[in-house]
Amino acid sequence: MRIRNVVQLHTVNRLQAFGWPLVFMALSLVVVLIIGALIVHVTAAGEPDARASMNQGMRWNGAIFALLGPLIGFGFTAMGQYFPLALGLGLTRREFAAGTALVFVGNAAFYAIIISIGKVIELATGGFGLGIRFFDVAYTGFGEWWQTLVQTFLLILTVMLVGAAITTAFHRWGQSFLWSFWIGLALVVLGFVAGMVLSEPFRGFVGDLGTMGWLPWMGVIALIGAIGAAVWLALVRRAQAR
Amino acid sequence: MTAIVTQGLSKHYPEVRALDGVSIELEEHRIHGLLGRNGAGKTTLMQLLTGQVFATAGSMQVLGASPVENADVLSQTCFIQESQRYPDTFRPIDVLRIAAGAYPNWEQALADQLVDDFRLPVKRTIKKLSRGQLSAIGIVIGLASRAPLTFFDEPYLGLDAVARRMFYDYLLADFSQHPRTIVLSTHHIDEVANLLEHVVILDQGRVLLDADTDELQHAAIGVSGRAADVDAFLAGREVLERTALGSLASATVTAHDGDERAARDAGLDVSPVSLQALFVHLTTASAAGAASPTAPATDVATN
Repeated sequence: MRIRNVVQLHTVNRLQAFGWPLVFMALSLVVVLIIGALIVHVTAAGEPDARASMNQGMRWNGAIFALLGPLIGFGFTAMGQYFPLALGLGLTRREFAAGTALVFVGNAAFYAIIISIGKVIELATGGFGLGIRFFDVAYTGFGEWWQTLVQTFLLILTVMLVGAAITTAFHRWGQSFLWSFWIGLALVVLGFVAGMVLSEPFRGFVGDLGTMGWLPWMGVIALIGAIGAAVWLALVRRAQAR
Repeated sequence: MTAIVTQGLSKHYPEVRALDGVSIELEEHRIHGLLGRNGAGKTTLMQLLTGQVFATAGSMQVLGASPVENADVLSQTCFIQESQRYPDTFRPIDVLRIAAGAYPNWEQALADQLVDDFRLPVKRTIKKLSRGQLSAIGIVIGLASRAPLTFFDEPYLGLDAVARRMFYDYLLADFSQHPRTIVLSTHHIDEVANLLEHVVILDQGRVLLDADTDELQHAAIGVSGRAADVDAFLAGREVLERTALGSLASATVTAHDGDERAARDAGLDVSPVSLQALFVHLTTASAAGAASPTAPATDVATN
């Protein structure tokens, strides 16, 4: 198995594989730091609670997606752009799938560790001395550092697997898959909205989901990732050059 | 030993039969030409032989085994295709580094030399390369990989005449020193005619001709002279093409033993038919035959 060649395929352009996501993350962090500095400086005298309310308000801030965003695209480009080249270089589908899965796991681990370290520093320094939140947000989890590590690892791995599965299905069935996908998604959303409006038991069920613990949520993410992996691996074995 | 054997190989898509019952045998350590008009099925055949697409029917053996998901075969096979896509952010140097790791016989010194001679800007993003520079990437990989079986599918699109000449020279020189099986698909037939030892012509997914180039040199002749003499000579012969200008006419016919002498005895001028001219005649005759089912099928040196 020439898995090393597949790993090299994904990582040969280091700036692209590691450089830009980290640069985007750093720039996004700088922007949040500047916002924090401005708020702390401007409101320091007049409103003592400003810092605390900013910290509270930033619980759902999505600046971390400057890092997570490019990683979401990684699953799509793996199948859309790297797979044709892998076939062109005489690598088998099995080798490509094994190597790419390894890269997915490695990527998820690498960035999960970075985010977890960032979170530890952020908490230890009181939001980098400004009370801001960048790493300690809803998407990465408010729990312990190891929970953030697990959560971001699973999240990143899942979005890459699902992205690869969607691209492979599109590769196989073309536009008709996309139509089916969006129609299916629209029906799910419609069903959800209808359930929330029309059904008291459904509202109760959703309410229970909202209060579900961290561990069950991780199970949900892992399940979605496992389904994505199963679909991707099943389809990639019969994927053809286009 | 044969490098490639196919039996009734077919690839059907919902809207088209890209390849339909192709049975060929290509011997190893030769340069084979795979010719055909656009859409004839050349690329599909090469994609099948390199496991990139799956066959609808038929069987194939490449280097003694099925190429489908066969790492042993595919690591010995290099397929340079005109339509190869690269990741948007890649530079030629990235592709060459991966190729160096993927092909066991990779020759880095040759790759470096080719990069210089083809003036390939290895650190420029591939998106910004010209069509000719993209082709140069394929040529570097195809030659430097020194794969026992190498497919070149229109390898020099966008390259100027000098660069194409350079490719032929490199190909022949490296082939002489490191014999291997090469399958070359091209529309520049006259330019490669001297390189090819064997030719397969595909037309509408089927094999139209499968012959050694030595045989083809005598497979057809061109005759010209007074129209009445030409027409008298053509009677009972298989005519690939006939044109007339006033009282003069010229024609290309399938040649059999004694035809050349008979033409001269009839007072006609006889000229050889180039591979490209033969290709044009055959594919044109085939198209006419398809349009008119009663037209006779050609039997030029098929085997």
